Amino acid sequence: MRLLAVSILLVSLGSGLAAGERSRKGDLIVSLDGAISPLALPRDRAAPIAVHLRGGLQRVGGELLPRVTRVELGLPAQGVLSTKGLPTCSQRLLRDAKPGEALAVCRTALIGRGRLEAQIRIPRQEPFTISARLLAFNGRAGKRRAAILHAYAPQPPTVVVLPFYVSRQPGRFGISLTANLPRALGPWPRFADFELTLTRRYLFQGERRSYLSASCPIPERNTAGFFSLAKMTLTLANGRGISTGIARSCRAR
Amino acid sequence: MSRPIPITLLLLAVALLAAATAPAAEAPTRDQYVERLEAVCKPDALATQRVMKGARADIRAEKLDVAAKKFAKATAIFGSTVKQISPAPRPTADRARLGKWFVYLKRQQSYLAQITAQLRQDHAIKAQRLTARFIHNGNLANNVVLAFGFDWCSFKFSRYG
Repeated sequence: MRLLAVSILLVSLGSGLAAGERSRKGDLIVSLDGAISPLALPRDRAAPIAVHLRGGLQRVGGELLPRVTRVELGLPAQGVLSTKGLPTCSQRLLRDAKPGEALAVCRTALIGRGRLEAQIRIPRQEPFTISARLLAFNGRAGKRRAAILHAYAPQPPTVVVLPFYVSRQPGRFGISLTANLPRALGPWPRFADFELTLTRRYLFQGERRSYLSASCPIPERNTAGFFSLAKMTLTLANGRGISTGIARSCRAR
Repeated sequence: MSRPIPITLLLLAVALLAAATAPAAEAPTRDQYVERLEAVCKPDALATQRVMKGARADIRAEKLDVAAKKFAKATAIFGSTVKQISPAPRPTADRARLGKWFVYLKRQQSYLAQITAQLRQDHAIKAQRLTARFIHNGNLANNVVLAFGFDWCSFKFSRYG
């Protein structure tokens, strides 16, 4: 049975930690919140959905955040992530492109939008926070399917292009979006908050398709069901990991 | 001239004083408390995962009697965990917060028992409503003790089937 079909959007938050479920490890607190829309889904077939995710990392005492080297977003295995017939965008086209320019060349591959806040540390300067606009495009990284994240901050002007590899894995969160954050990204990996919505509907050979789809596979006499919507795992520069997951409900229509 | 204090009264005063000061002396640090509780919670959380395996699929397949048995076992494990961790000496500064946490834990235990009862009676909708409260209450419980950094003692929906 199908539970989920998605497209992504990251949106920045104001200051402070995102709401939702939180977990703490040492002096770090990771949070994740999210929802699907629409809430009401067919019981027996997958229907197009959007997935909204909002998350963050906070350090008790407000000290500088550690560098994150890997981000993994897990989505339910029952969901459907379809890219068949969806145009792809090359990372090369996105490098050095402002959002308008990125959309001009890759709008047909757009799968999500959002925003991100990251802490920036530059030698001999006080750390500061920047806000970036995010765009997510369907693409490929090497031979692998990927969601290409394009982040643009106007001040100071910065563009980062980061592939999130899409893969299937065993377990509850069978759809995985994973990004490795190399040192070459500079100060960006000290991210604080993000908000992302993944959603895209498109036509392929006359057939309506969706980047993400899901059903609400509950018995006839139930009106709602509960499922694990997402899990975020962050790997830090010291090798330690911190993660949190969220459970949400769906309604049958 | 004052009268001497009877020896029994003196002994009683000493005993009362000792009783009053003992908990403060024995109060663990937050880290020690977490370590002690996690040692209890870990095997119980793993046992819960084992007994609840497939429960969601059972409910989906409308095998409510099968799911009820799994929930009954989970309820017993949860009750046993709470019983074991309740008497553990608590860090002095965290007593109020932990008191609140235990209220949530008792509520969790009650929800689990109610879900079991409703599943046994084949009341799917009532079980569904209680499950929503169970998840919400679990998240509230986690928020109360976020500062403790519990892993095995925290509520995780994924452990329930």
